Amino acid sequence: MITPEVKSFKIHFGKKEVYIFPYWIGLLICGIAFGLVGAHQVFTRGLQVTGLSNQVPWGLWITIDLSAIALGGSTFVFGVVVYLLRIKRFEIVGKLAILLGFLGYSTAGMVLLFDLGKPLRFWHPIIFWQPHSLLWEITMCVVLYLTVLAAELLPVVLEHPVFSTHPFLDKFQILRKAINLLHRLADWLHSIAPVLAVLGLTLSLLHQASLGATYSVLSGRGMWFNQSAPVQFVLSAMGGGTSLLFFLSVVVFRIMRPGLVKDDILYDVARIAGAIVLLCIYIRVWDWAVTNYYSFDTEVSLQTSVLNSIAPYSATFWIGQVIFALIPGTILLLSRRVNNFRILMAAAVLPVICTVLVRWNYNFSGLIASISYSPFNPAVILNSYVPTWQEWSVASLVISYWLLLFSLAAHYLPFTSQASRH
Amino acid sequence: MSDEQKNKSQTEKDLSRRDFIKLSGTMLGAAALVPLVSQGARKLSGGEQTDGPQWGMLIDINKCIGCNYCTYACQAVNNLSDDMLYNVVTKETTQTGVEFFLSRPCMHCTDAPCTHVCPVGATYQREDGIIAMDYDLCIGCRYCEVACPYDARVFNWYKHTETSERVPDYGVPEVPPRDRGVVEKCTFCSHRIDAGLERNLIPGVDPQATPACVVACPTGARVFGDLNDPESPISKTLSQTTLTLRLREELSTAPKVYYVPPQPNTETGSENS
Repeated sequence: MITPEVKSFKIHFGKKEVYIFPYWIGLLICGIAFGLVGAHQVFTRGLQVTGLSNQVPWGLWITIDLSAIALGGSTFVFGVVVYLLRIKRFEIVGKLAILLGFLGYSTAGMVLLFDLGKPLRFWHPIIFWQPHSLLWEITMCVVLYLTVLAAELLPVVLEHPVFSTHPFLDKFQILRKAINLLHRLADWLHSIAPVLAVLGLTLSLLHQASLGATYSVLSGRGMWFNQSAPVQFVLSAMGGGTSLLFFLSVVVFRIMRPGLVKDDILYDVARIAGAIVLLCIYIRVWDWAVTNYYSFDTEVSLQTSVLNSIAPYSATFWIGQVIFALIPGTILLLSRRVNNFRILMAAAVLPVICTVLVRWNYNFSGLIASISYSPFNPAVILNSYVPTWQEWSVASLVISYWLLLFSLAAHYLPFTSQASRH
Repeated sequence: MSDEQKNKSQTEKDLSRRDFIKLSGTMLGAAALVPLVSQGARKLSGGEQTDGPQWGMLIDINKCIGCNYCTYACQAVNNLSDDMLYNVVTKETTQTGVEFFLSRPCMHCTDAPCTHVCPVGATYQREDGIIAMDYDLCIGCRYCEVACPYDARVFNWYKHTETSERVPDYGVPEVPPRDRGVVEKCTFCSHRIDAGLERNLIPGVDPQATPACVVACPTGARVFGDLNDPESPISKTLSQTTLTLRLREELSTAPKVYYVPPQPNTETGSENS
């Protein structure tokens, strides 16, 4: 059995040792329960319960959606590393990456369902094609990619001993037969893993880039919605996603389940993350230079000054996106020399925040400060948006779902395959 | 042991190669189907001129007195609740500070950003250039609202229950209310145009076939008609006008709503407001 190996977090109260895992799960279930209240309101009363308006039609949920997809960005990176480049020592970390991808994309799908005015028509893009639309392409990619991720995750889940040794399997033959069928499916899926990796890479690059392009095509909005957005979205997803993978790998493979992965491999994951984060910020700063230094755009400078008057907009760029990427990127790149997992973990959090912040700013900069259509004196109109408790509640639902499934998977999922154990 | 492993990895490779070819075949097949599917899809943007009518509107800013009748008639005829406006009248200023009223319906752009971004093709360009909505297809993602440079789209946040208080003073509802959760917009009163053409009426000339806002305007600031027909009211007015402008032309959306800019010598309607 796997479970006895798990060393979960324990807290000492004097002499008493408290095993916090059940309390953590309890907390997450509370988060889901609170979320269900908001979800019920959204589904019965519609989007009038949100703080959204015709001027700011996309808000908190879109940011969560974009961030969840971005933070699943490590999946295709490690899909390539493990199944195409065949660097087998990353196999176990790669399985964690697949899990993160699956969680990220299912979370995104869930939160999008709330964001639709007509949630029951979520399947329309699959039937009614509009290949010119980036959102159509993203929907198709996400649906297909989620299928690929499920196919990649199934063999990992089925390796849990409960699926081969549970007494129920001998009691009910039909269960045994179903499990055998699933095992055969999993074996086949495992054998075509490289195909799935190529497919995953293609789909990932397509829609991660398109998420940036979603904003690039909004020529009427001005600010930041520039042509380099697709590249930046891909790179920041790879950087942020891999940083998150590193952080969670340390949590799972050093704290909860020590012994599965060597420290050397974790250092390498940190170095990969650091390299991508630095590459991303290099391109990002060039992009800043192109839009703000080498060219002057009245609309952009108007919007920037208006945004700065209501929020620390420039600060979120220079601190949240440049410094939060440069410093941790360097630390992660030098992981072997730093040789301290506490510092590395702290460093890995910052690119994750940076990735979310990029999406937050992309979404809001053009919506909060939009350009009027006045023919002679085009002005920047300041719109406002404050998320309601129902929006936070749904946010709590999907984030708790993510954390709950991750915690359970980190606790129970067998990351070592039976094939390699033989 | 190592041989066995080798064999195994060999079969794995073979399998994956074969599957890869199979998969590529399937994907190629799917790719080949795309043109067939999109042939059936509706036209997204005009660009090229067609022989049929292309409906357009001209708004003379010098004649607009800011009475909002266009907005009210639109609300009544299109069955809108009070907080939903297809048509908006705002007070703007010229560079020299002269105030004027700007009334803004949907621009019915020749190259409309909203039709390009809709993921399901719920918003599309009709043969006659009108940007229309299919309310049964719309999923309510609101990408079109984000994409529209003119803020011309409105979302149904609430369930429509009450008739507008503009009914019956400014008109009676001529179209059914839309569902909660879909985006809607000005249609150039396409229901009037379609029904009118069937009865051999001329949109822009006969009031029954002309958009409600044009009919309601007390000063005749709005002119409607077929841009392709040189005898239509809009073509005639356009040929007589030396200077017209369209909103945010730098975006290359090519709106089909033209404006006569305020003349410095003419008095604007601001004193009548």
